[in-house]
Parts: sequence; C-alpha cells; structure tokens
Amino acid sequence: MKTNELDSLIFADMLRQGAASLSKDKKVINDLNVFPIPDGDTGDNMLMTLKAGCLAIQDHLGTLSEVASAASSGMLLGARGNSGVILSRIFAGLAKGLKDVIVADTQSFAKAMEAAVMEAYKAVPVPVEGTIITVLREGAAGANASSDLNHYFETLLEAMQTSLDHTPELLQVLKDAGVVDSGGAGLLSIFRGMNDALNGKIFHEEIEPTATAPVPTVELDKFDENSILEFGYCTEFLLRLMRSKVDLDTFDEAVIIDYLNKVGESVVAFREGTIVKVHVHTFTPGMILNEMQKYGEFLTLKIENMALQHHQSTNQNNASFKLPPKQYGVVTVASGEGLINAFREIGADEVIAGGQTMNPSTQDFLEAFAKINAQHILVFPNNKNIKMAADQAAELYKNADIHVLPSTTIGEGYYGIGSIDRDNTNAEEVIDSVTEIMQSVVTGMVSTAIRNAEGDHVSVHTGDYVGYSGKQLLSDSPNRETAAKALVERLGAASRDVMLVFFGEDVPQNKAESLVADLQTQYKNLEIMLNNGAQPVYDYIFVLC
Amino acid sequence: MTFFSDTDCDITPKECAAYGIKLISMPYTVGDQVIYPYIDFDEFDSHKFYDMLRAGTMPTTSAMSEEAYIQHFEPEFAAGNDILYVHFSSGTSNTFTIMNQAVEKLKAKYPERKFYSIDTLGITALSYNIVLEAADLYKAGKTAEEIVAWAKVEVPKFPMYFFADDLKFFRRSGRVSGLAATMGGFIGIRPIIYLNDEGKMVSIGKETGRAKAIARLVQYVEDLGEDVKAHRVLIGHSDCPDIAAEAERQLKEKFGQDLNVITNVVNPTIGSHCGPNAIGICFHAKHR
Repeated sequence: MKTNELDSLIFADMLRQGAASLSKDKKVINDLNVFPIPDGDTGDNMLMTLKAGCLAIQDHLGTLSEVASAASSGMLLGARGNSGVILSRIFAGLAKGLKDVIVADTQSFAKAMEAAVMEAYKAVPVPVEGTIITVLREGAAGANASSDLNHYFETLLEAMQTSLDHTPELLQVLKDAGVVDSGGAGLLSIFRGMNDALNGKIFHEEIEPTATAPVPTVELDKFDENSILEFGYCTEFLLRLMRSKVDLDTFDEAVIIDYLNKVGESVVAFREGTIVKVHVHTFTPGMILNEMQKYGEFLTLKIENMALQHHQSTNQNNASFKLPPKQYGVVTVASGEGLINAFREIGADEVIAGGQTMNPSTQDFLEAFAKINAQHILVFPNNKNIKMAADQAAELYKNADIHVLPSTTIGEGYYGIGSIDRDNTNAEEVIDSVTEIMQSVVTGMVSTAIRNAEGDHVSVHTGDYVGYSGKQLLSDSPNRETAAKALVERLGAASRDVMLVFFGEDVPQNKAESLVADLQTQYKNLEIMLNNGAQPVYDYIFVLC
Repeated sequence: MTFFSDTDCDITPKECAAYGIKLISMPYTVGDQVIYPYIDFDEFDSHKFYDMLRAGTMPTTSAMSEEAYIQHFEPEFAAGNDILYVHFSSGTSNTFTIMNQAVEKLKAKYPERKFYSIDTLGITALSYNIVLEAADLYKAGKTAEEIVAWAKVEVPKFPMYFFADDLKFFRRSGRVSGLAATMGGFIGIRPIIYLNDEGKMVSIGKETGRAKAIARLVQYVEDLGEDVKAHRVLIGHSDCPDIAAEAERQLKEKFGQDLNVITNVVNPTIGSHCGPNAIGICFHAKHR
C-alpha cells in the first residue's frame, strides 16, 4: 500500500503505534545503561512522555497541524528525564514544521523533520554527538524525500539504525559499556512503530494515563476529633447543565459564579458548552451541591477537607485568604519517606516524589510551583537527568521567578537548601552563595551493582555493593558496610568537617548506627549526622562538607 | 549587706550556702506548668531536661512579678541590711524593668537602705564566673561599694564565646543578632556567638562542624586571654559533656594542666533559649 498523504488520523495512529512499539522495547532500552547502578530509565521516561502526547490527542479532531501541536503540548508537560525533554522538543519541532499543514506529503513531512532536528539541537545547551539528536539528524539526512511516504520512512529507519549502530564510535562511554545510545534506540523504536501504523499495521493497546507522580499520601491524623474546621473543603466538580432544568441557550453561568462567591472563597468557574467546571473553597459543600442541582447534574465530584489536602496544612495557597508572597520558595525532588521529610524539615516547600529511577515531568514541576506563593522559587533537581524538565517548567511558569540550581545529587540539594539565607532579599546573592556551598560538598552513594564494570579504582561485580561518586566507581564489596567505609575513606573524610549520612530503606537502623560509630572512631574530628532517609536504590548517601 | 544572685547565673543552692548568698529562682514554663529551679526541684536533672528539649518540647520563660521581687528583697531591708544583687544580663530580659519598679517602691519605704546591683552582662557560665569572683571578694570582707567598683572594671573583661547544635531555640528566642536565617544546624554549620559589652548575643561568624567550632572557641581564649590562669575558666554546656571535655582538654593542652577549669551545666531557664548541645567558654580577657 502506498501512502502519499499523511493526515491527522494517520498521524495520531502513528504516535500511538510509536508508543506501543516503545512499550514493547522499553526494557531492552532501559538496560542500555552505561553505569552499573539503576539509573533514570530512558525507556520509561520516553514512553511516559510520548503517552502524555497521545493522551492529549485522544479525543482531538482537527487538521494534522492541530493534532501535531496538541500532541506536542502534551509531551512538553509530560516530559520526564533528559531523554523525555529532548523527545518532547523533537515533536515540538515536528509540530512547528507541520504548522498550517492539513495533510502532509513526503516533502512537507521531511521538511518538518528538519525543523525537528533544529529544535532538538536547541534543546540541549551543549549538543553531544552519539546521542538521540545524532540519530534523529542522521536519520532525517539519510531519508529519501523524493518518493512516497512509505519509502521515506523505510529509508529513514535504515539511516537511523545505521546512525544508532555508530553511536559507540562517537561516545567513549558507550563503547566502554558495550552498548548503543539508549535515547537513540528509543527514538528508533518510536519511529518503527510510526512506520507500522503508516503501513496499516496497528496493534496498539488503549493508552492509559500512566504513573504520574504518586498521589501524595493523605494524613488523616491532621484532622482529628478535636480539630476545628479552619480551612473548609476544597470542592471541585463538573456540572452538566440539563436541558430539562435550564434554557441552555440563554443560561448565564454568572448565576452560578455569583452564588459560589456568596458561599465560598477562591472561586474558579467557567463554562465549556454545557459543562460548567467549578472549583470553590467552602465550609458547607452540601449547600452548594443542592443549589447546583437546580441547574444540572454532576459528572465528577471531589470534596476534600483542606486540613488534610496537603502535607502542610499551612500551605498558603490552601488558606481561604491570600497572603503576600514570601521571598523564597523551594522545590526539590527526592524519593523515600525519610528523605522527603528531611527535605521538608530543612525548608523545602514542595518535595516532588522522584529521583534516579523515577524522573518527574515538567508538569510535576509546574504543579509544585503553583502550590507556592513566593517571589522566587529555587528549584533543586538533585539529578542531572531531571534538570532539563525543571528548566522546561521554569520557562513555562509565569507567576514567580524560577531559578533552577545546579544540584546534581541529593547531598548537594540538601546542603544547598539548608544554606539559603531567607532574610537576604538579594536573590542573586543567595543563589551565588548556595551554588558555592553546593560546589564545596561531595556526595557518595552505596548501591547494588546491576552488572560487572571496571572503574579506575575498583572492579565492580554484579550483585556487589558499590560505592561511587558522580560517575566514579570508588569501592566494591559483597558487604554493604565494608563498601561504605571504603567509599567514605576515598571521599576524603579525614580532611572534612561534617558528614551527613542518609541510610536507605533496606538498611536496618542498628547497622547504620554501628557503621557511624565505627566511622566516628576512625574520624575523630568529623561531625557525623545520621538520618533515616528510607530512600530506595541507595543504601547509603554520604554528604561531606 | 546581703549578697543576692539568681539561678540564671548557674550558681547552685549548695554553693550559695557556702558563700552566704541568697538565690533568686528564675522561672521557666513547660506546657502550662511554671517551674522555679531549686524550689520545684532539689537537683537539676539536666540530662532529663535537655532530652525533653531534644524530643521536641520548647519551654518558655517569663519575667517575674514585682511582688515576687518585693518578697525577696523586703525582708533584708526590714532587717536593716543593704543588698548587692549580682545578676544575669539585663539586656536579655525585661524582668529587670519590673525589678527596678519593685526596688523603687522599697527605697521609698526604706529610704536609709541601699540597693547595689552588678549586671554581669552575661548569662550562664559568664555570669557564674563573675558571681564567683564577686563572692570571693564578699567572703574576703569587701564592701558593696568595693565590689561594685571592681565589677565596673572587670565585667567587660569576661567574654564568653559559644555555639549550639540546634539554632531553632536561639531563633525562636530572637535574642541573637546577626544570625543568618538558614537551617545551618541540619548541615553542621555552627554560628559562633558571643556576648558583647551590652550583654547582648551577637553572631560573629560560623564554622563547619563541631571540631572546628570548638577549636575556634579555644582560639579566642588564646587570642583575647589576659591573666587567664589567675582566674577560673568556665565551660558551660547544655548536656554535651563530651564536647565540654574536649574543649577542656584543648585548653589544658595550651595553658597547662593546672588551668582552673570549671565545667557546669547550663541552667534550664537559659537552656530554654539555647537548647541542648550548646557549649560556651568564659575566661578572663583583655576585652570581650
């Protein structure tokens, strides 16, 4: 079957089939890991990003241009991890290239691919060849644009495959690990799926909204039998206006808005067709519900006691009155209950659940920003693979000055947040001093090796405990605490003043305590502060200053 | 002449008895319970008290009433005794405004009686050191005027430098100026604080980690010290004897084993403001 025209329906199918293909390949792609420690899973990140795009066009009818643009917006917000952010920018470029195109032929699609290449290169501050952007660029360059779309895709895939195979020649780390670039592999998988759809081979499953950040746990104890209802209920619903109850043509939703303003606060209500979407804070949700049934019936309904709604019941945006913005708000990323609490305790307003193996999306950052009423929001991503999504969110957010700080580890983030001088109104000074203190910190981690590897200092064996800092493998032992002690020594504990220790969810407290006691004996002048981080993946995180 | 001091100066009833000093108990409040040291308990169980703070209790302190001061002082005036009161820094509490009102009333009632006071411009170990010096003079038969004259010269010569693990206590009490609004306590950053010539607490820098912070305190003794060995060196701590012992070890290494070091535990009323794991050194110096 020859296809010379690509319309919005085919394009939508191609995206969904791309996601289906990536879903099938994601484990293999996740395993294309140059570092022997569980890492930001490229396959998962790209898949979740692409699925966010697919969800955005689920019920979308329109031209190719409109659908491509809607998918791109969805991906922009859903982007997770650096590979996800780059993927979202690739599709943003594609959408730009398809602007005003109702139906694409080979030439116009090929041109759009060139726009995608340009956008992808712009997405990364320092483009590194041998990665996803190389595979995209060389693929687009090698595709035959003077034929039908099927042939275009065929040659595109061939060129991408050749480019992907070549990535270890461009990047030494890939060669050392004996793998090809995982982002490039993900991109190829997506385009293979897209090609299948183009050729009528459609076998994808329904796209489910996947694992966005875990729902924050509701702390029921925040409102007990002695509590006073201080904040009321956050009440949200979709109301379908009913023909049997109101005259749909003449009904003015201002009636509803006026009523809500009388009985509640923080009213947001708007109408789309016959649906009225309502958000209101009220002490008497029942009254509102009864009133609303005069006009219509509920499609969805959510009522939450605002004392429990968030971990901080004092969260300013939840209060029924507006406070002036504070000088500094702090958003960070961590996983593990203890670590999340530690971050809150040291002054983070919002801790996005995530980290090494679960990279938060741009949307997650935007939601966190929206919960904070501050002039400046300082963002500590604590991971190189999360920074791009944070940067992307920073560009999109308009209600505060967002500053993404270069924290690449939990330790740097914790130290940085702890050193924010909240009385200093000069944000630039504060950021400089926090950045400086973060640079003075070294962080080391103990985790389990997922494969053999050769470091400069040690040979790492699958299943061993491995101590490392950045990309440097520093210790290896079948015994966790032995690996930890060797790591601490290699990190230069003898000449440091303070060491924070966060022990992970798999480490019994008494083991951590006895490790600290041993280390204290060995390093008399080192002040060691032990914290139960209960984090996954890392058995120990050491932060030395 | 009757010599008064107060529990914020760390002196205990036992020592007061030995010197013939009358002790004013400065209250603190836990929950809704007002506690007067050495009235509501005989021995200060410091470990238990500071552990309670570690567990999250934040006691408060309050000024005494005019009536309470009158009850302390009037019997002395009535018996024909003058009063010398060596007290903790008036710059850290408004209790002295109330005391002055009480004294004014008593003076009107007993015009022939004299009330002398010495503001140690300090708290805990600093005040303790000065109280002990003044008490030595008192015991040696010096008059109130002589002791007051001595204090005028000597009080500015007793500095105290200190640091604390957990700054939330200081922050809440709002009595330290120059303290950066960071969460430094969690990451081992220790602001170094001293009591200035007005008896106010001022942060003058910070160190990373306890070891460096202790070394800096000892360094101050070396740099500022004057006739250090001719006086007591007071190490006050809030339930961190190990840190105090390390400071003592370093001091004796520098000044000799015969250095007269006295280690004492910070009283609970001041402890309510500095929290557990604070340590300070008070010594005789060129200036504060």
